[in-house]
Amino acid sequence: MGPALVILLFVATPAGATQTHGDPEGLVVHQISHIFFMFSMGLLIYWIKTRRLSVTPGWRYIQYAAFLFIIWTLDAFFAHQIDEFHELIRVTRTGPWQIHIETNSPATAVVYYLTKMDHLWCVPALLFMYLGLRRLNREAREKNHQPPPQRIES
Amino acid sequence: MTMTVLPIWLVDVLGATAMIVLSGLCIYHVRALTRRAPKNVIWTYLLWVSYCLCGFAISRSAGHILKEMLLISGRDETWQAIRPYSGSVNTFLLFLVASITLFFERIWQIYHQISGDQEALTRAHAQVLELNETLEKRVAERTRALARSEKQIAQADKLASIGQLSSGIAHEINNPLGIILGYTQLLSRGEKTGSQKYEDLKIIEKNVKACKAIVEDLLNFARSPKPRQEKVDINFLIDDVLTFIQRRLRQNAMTIVKEYDPAAPAMILDGEKIRQVLINLLMNAQHATDNKGTVIIKTSYDPPARLMRIRIKDNGYGIERANLSRIFDPFFTTKSTGEGTGLGLAVSYGIIKSHGGQIDVSSEPGVGTEFTITLPVNPETPLLTEKTESGK
Repeated sequence: MGPALVILLFVATPAGATQTHGDPEGLVVHQISHIFFMFSMGLLIYWIKTRRLSVTPGWRYIQYAAFLFIIWTLDAFFAHQIDEFHELIRVTRTGPWQIHIETNSPATAVVYYLTKMDHLWCVPALLFMYLGLRRLNREAREKNHQPPPQRIES
Repeated sequence: MTMTVLPIWLVDVLGATAMIVLSGLCIYHVRALTRRAPKNVIWTYLLWVSYCLCGFAISRSAGHILKEMLLISGRDETWQAIRPYSGSVNTFLLFLVASITLFFERIWQIYHQISGDQEALTRAHAQVLELNETLEKRVAERTRALARSEKQIAQADKLASIGQLSSGIAHEINNPLGIILGYTQLLSRGEKTGSQKYEDLKIIEKNVKACKAIVEDLLNFARSPKPRQEKVDINFLIDDVLTFIQRRLRQNAMTIVKEYDPAAPAMILDGEKIRQVLINLLMNAQHATDNKGTVIIKTSYDPPARLMRIRIKDNGYGIERANLSRIFDPFFTTKSTGEGTGLGLAVSYGIIKSHGGQIDVSSEPGVGTEFTITLPVNPETPLLTEKTESGK
């Protein structure tokens, strides 16, 4: 029984029970995370609007932040996609401060160049987030400093 | 196309640094919020969103800065080795931020539910405190109200009994009086005008008529005849009564102060009967002030209760406390003999009761008296009929 089992183990071919995770999967997962992030920010904007929270400056700023995050994630999504289209665009570093972009049209090169500066969207988004939270904090502080309502002592 | 990477590098490095700083500042403000209200779930939620954003910002920014540094220094292989890990952490944190953001709706609902419960609890607590605080006062008030209503019931019972008795007697007397009057008038026809017998019969006739008037008043008190139902403007009716009184008292030095409620609606009542009540009360006020005091007449409408209140207040000599419970009794009077029959207030009481209303008095000797008539505005049930006995 024992030797038979050992033989079986050694002659067994890969059954494929565990899936392998090859090269493009990382990109797909990352792109899905961008789509998911975009979806959740869209919902946040919708909820803030339907709950009429956007009438207060703090929540309005958070709503603006969510909107800018959507633009940023779209930018990042396209930048990642373009990076993978080697037939459309090919980028090589020619020096420490220089890159060479091979494309069919100069417009594609410019678009690629601009999408690389995605911080121009996500920094303002985070700035609005910060302004919103600071405003909420200030409002809460002012509310706390108001005289407490008169209570009947027992 | 060859291009410089300097703008990309600058935006990347400066942007990455700004992201770390800003996400740290976000955490600072939300932490301040949670310290101020640790049980507020919205602040807790925002704190978690900020933590995740900060984690993502640090991971991404650190990756970007490291990448730029390594590429500039020509260590491309090192970056290629780190890249998968940096990218995976970024992906994971981006998923985390997005997932936590999706809890907003649920957190908001919980927050609202807690806030609502908290408010209800605070309100209930305040009410309990207030009830506790005013309990003794309320008990004392209710006890006083109970004593007052017991007094009123006793008074109403007493007046009802008197009413029954009076109506029986009045009926018995009314018939012989009618016969006496008839025969007196018959006999006076056969007598010569101006003769002694004729004059004697006229005196009998006059006194029998006076007796009949008293009996009539007694019947009015005991069994109000069916009141007419007409639309009456109470302010206008009071003005009409005042004109009548002022015309009757030619040397009238009484000051009348009118405080009418302009919102007083038209009422369904027997105008003539209410006029009689007002005349009785105003004549009493005139008597109490020796025709030179001040009488305040006030009307006020209570829309929720649909009640009209007419207050007649004088600054006359008032009513002794001992007499207060008897003033609506028939034949009770403090006036000298011959000045009043003592039926005015008894009849007024009967009329107001037949309208489904109430008449109250408060008085302080030396200060004055106030009568308050409360009448329902457009009662749903018709006015009480002649079968209704006073006080019932």
